[in-house]
Amino acid sequence: MPKIVIDDKELDFNQGQTIIQIAEENGIDIPHFCWHECLSVSGNCRMCLVEVEKIPKLVIACSTIAADGMVVHTQSEKTVKARSAVMEFLLINHPLDCPICDEAGECKLQQYAYSHSVGESRFTEEKNHKKKRVPLGPYVMFDAERCISCSRCIRFCDEIAGEKQLTFVQRGDKVTIVTAPGKQLDNPYSLNVTDICPVGALTNRDFRFKSRVWDMSSTKSICSGCSRGCNIEVWVRNNEILRLTPRHNAEVNSYWMCDNGRLNTFKHVNAENRVDGPYLKREGNLIKTGWDEAIAFAVSELKSFGKDEIAFIGSAFATCEDNYIFAKFAKSAWSAKNIDFLRHVKPGESDKLLVMEDKSPNALGAQLAGIQPGKGGLNFEGIIHAIKEGKIKALYLLEDDLAAIKPEYESALKKLELLIVHSSNFNKTTDIADLILPASTYAEKHGTFVNFDGRVQRIRSAVTTEDFDRSLDGFEQSRLDKFGSPFDKWSSPKKMDARSSWRIIAAMYSALGHKIKHTMSQEVFDEISETIPEFQGLNYSVIGDTGAKIKLKSAETKSIKV
Amino acid sequence: MERIVLPDIKDLHLIDVYIQNGGYQAVKKAYAMSTDDVIAEVKKSGLRGRGGAAFATGLKWSFMPKTTDKPKYLCVNGDESEPGSFKDRQIFEFNPHQLLEGVLIACYAIQAKAAYIYIRGEYAKWVKLLQKALDDAYDKGFVGEKMKETLGSQFSCDIFIHKGAGAYICGEESALMNSIEGKRAYPRVKPPFPASNGLWGNPTTINNIETITNVPAIINKGAEWFSKIGEPKHPGTILCGVSGHVNKPGVYEIPTGTLLTDVIYKLAGGVPGDKKIKCVIPGGSSMPPLRGDQLEGVKMDADSLKAIGSGIGTAGVIVMDEDTNLVKVLARISKFYHHESCGQCTPCREGAGWLQKVLERIAAGNGVSSDLDLLISIASNIEGNTVCALGEAAAWPVRFMVTKFRQEFETYVKADVSIPVPNKVHSMRATEFPVADIKL
Repeated sequence: MPKIVIDDKELDFNQGQTIIQIAEENGIDIPHFCWHECLSVSGNCRMCLVEVEKIPKLVIACSTIAADGMVVHTQSEKTVKARSAVMEFLLINHPLDCPICDEAGECKLQQYAYSHSVGESRFTEEKNHKKKRVPLGPYVMFDAERCISCSRCIRFCDEIAGEKQLTFVQRGDKVTIVTAPGKQLDNPYSLNVTDICPVGALTNRDFRFKSRVWDMSSTKSICSGCSRGCNIEVWVRNNEILRLTPRHNAEVNSYWMCDNGRLNTFKHVNAENRVDGPYLKREGNLIKTGWDEAIAFAVSELKSFGKDEIAFIGSAFATCEDNYIFAKFAKSAWSAKNIDFLRHVKPGESDKLLVMEDKSPNALGAQLAGIQPGKGGLNFEGIIHAIKEGKIKALYLLEDDLAAIKPEYESALKKLELLIVHSSNFNKTTDIADLILPASTYAEKHGTFVNFDGRVQRIRSAVTTEDFDRSLDGFEQSRLDKFGSPFDKWSSPKKMDARSSWRIIAAMYSALGHKIKHTMSQEVFDEISETIPEFQGLNYSVIGDTGAKIKLKSAETKSIKV
Repeated sequence: MERIVLPDIKDLHLIDVYIQNGGYQAVKKAYAMSTDDVIAEVKKSGLRGRGGAAFATGLKWSFMPKTTDKPKYLCVNGDESEPGSFKDRQIFEFNPHQLLEGVLIACYAIQAKAAYIYIRGEYAKWVKLLQKALDDAYDKGFVGEKMKETLGSQFSCDIFIHKGAGAYICGEESALMNSIEGKRAYPRVKPPFPASNGLWGNPTTINNIETITNVPAIINKGAEWFSKIGEPKHPGTILCGVSGHVNKPGVYEIPTGTLLTDVIYKLAGGVPGDKKIKCVIPGGSSMPPLRGDQLEGVKMDADSLKAIGSGIGTAGVIVMDEDTNLVKVLARISKFYHHESCGQCTPCREGAGWLQKVLERIAAGNGVSSDLDLLISIASNIEGNTVCALGEAAAWPVRFMVTKFRQEFETYVKADVSIPVPNKVHSMRATEFPVADIKL
């Protein structure tokens, strides 16, 4: 294997690798702006200039192919001088917007100004001025003055999103970025340019001016928009989600996520229509009630039906843990056979990059956790049919707004004598329900989703509910969480009275006289891995941040994909 | 002296006149030779590129891969946009067929089926003139499919004229290729080099207009003959465009190694009013200037000029007399490179503008003594750190002009004036914070 020496370290590499790739693999940081692992090399920022012995000029590490015996210096006097020269050039016309710039705190230019710049500017002229607020598309705002012309956004559109929507125009220090006349930056992945933009030139219009980045906590989670299961960070300030950003996972979503997932999968968590505590329907009116009363009501009402008159519908939006306890509850406490869930597959609504046809995050997980008809039991369509025929009179429904999907389902649900629903928000289905149990959203609980590919991935609570105290329950902490005083406005955030579905069902289980030993979702998952062969050998620490594959029989993946 | 590139023949631009004077004979002769022999002949002649770098032409041709399935291309660079350089347009106007014949020979030597002659957009008139010549050559069967018949050869090629849209950067060979491909003319990061990865990713050779125009003469009269003209290490003639403070500005074809003073005083008729010369830029505005007292004995060829710290460039000689304000000259040169910087890479994009701003401030009388060192520092921070040679083109005039004429610049800047620095601190690393004197 050929060898290269970088900063006195002898390293193996594969033929064809560039210096920066080898450095990256071996934990040596070569500063760079324009280079990105997933994009073509453009070599324009000149920040990664390094000294290579026997080559008179400095070379850029991003485009220089390593050769056997090459000796590279990334910290030599010449390199450090060149780097600080590049930083000086980048900063001379860069506006001092940092105090009002969204990027501040996660800005490469700002960080490098601390670590790779001499500290003082010799520039005494007037800075160049360019347009400050240019909407490039529905979601992305452009500030031309902040742009360092690295071309990452252009290359992203060309190479990853597959739509050539951005280009440079003008020349020299007047260079700026535009869309074609009359066109917009509106590809389904447009917001990724705000992540890869090394400065605050491209910002997320949905998030602009909402918060300083250091005032938010960020929690590793999974997007709930489709069965891809893109890895994300959930950004929270004052117990409110302000944005989602993609989190790198080479096996799932690389560095990207779609705009729909980023913008439309968290707003219900902060929404006004959250179900805040259990609600009972009395004489046609919804009345807020206590947890004990609600659970007692559910148990006693369910008892009044024969086992063939009750159906249990799980959810592809709930976690494996929720569905597992739900299925166990249905089977062992009620000997139920009519168990299934609805698959939210929209044929044709997928693309080549990330978006999947299955618009739920956990269809495979729900199925594997036991949400499938028992012997001789009815499947989902069978249950709906039986409800219409009056054979099934009671339905226990987990986290799925069935009434909104088809008028047929809505009219069927209306025929029921008893409808118990777990829901995070009021919706068409809760309008019909006799008992609404407030379910935590994916952002308020721990649990697992299984994506289309059979990868188990963890979601983590980023937002507290009334059950949990941020400071005690292992939440990611923001600066405000750590250092806020009781007099700060963020110290008394709005908290929902909602619980993970499995916890609610567990309480019902206890009310029936069963003993439930689990106190944490990871204990539920441990039981899943002990009892369900596909999950064998897995636990929360094995799954970790980037997930683990389950042992899948091909028949199961097929049934989900179709 | 014999003129090779611009012979003194009336109406030579007409194809019939060109043929009467032995035109399109060299291509016949070359096509009867093997390609290796053609390349060897050009190598032996010692012909070096006339576009600025003075690279050996035959050697460049030999870099083209022999065994490849990919199409090969020839690009001929007629984007001459360097201030002080105006030689190629004489060829377009007065001897276009010798250029075309040279292209045909070069295409054969490197086995390129297509050649692109790239002409700057501002040369609209010369594009028309060359297009006329090319059309005539097609009609007579010297170019295109018909040449197989006319020349009795197996080989044929096509020639296309590509008009630029007015950007200096298109003269940089890899930017030129991007421009031909219809892309933004950003220079490419090298390696890969054009011989392996040029036009549309295929093997490509790029030569200057004047270089190619020399080729038919070399084939006709032999490498031996050519190599004996002028300076042995840089043989042949060069087109020398003389401008500035001379009585007879114009393009002169001279043997290499001709004395610079002969060019200025004998050919260009000396300086108006017999004034002294303050400064000469020998090779187009990006080349380091020479002081008036450095001119004695300086020969016009690549190695001699390099030896005294300048360069032959495109042999655009700019003469400035003793009354010239060099601060304003340099400010104007910097304005050009700022305007023409393509904006791709950081040092040139930001640095070229900074240089201009400082120079204009000095020229306006608002300079301070530290500005001169600042200029040299900015220039040296650009040099060597850019994608293409435009970085050096922007930096060299500043570095060398300020260094060589330091006194003149000194008189322009006020000493000991410290001007306020806005936004002085952009990093805390080098900043010392005042420590409060608190006793506990």
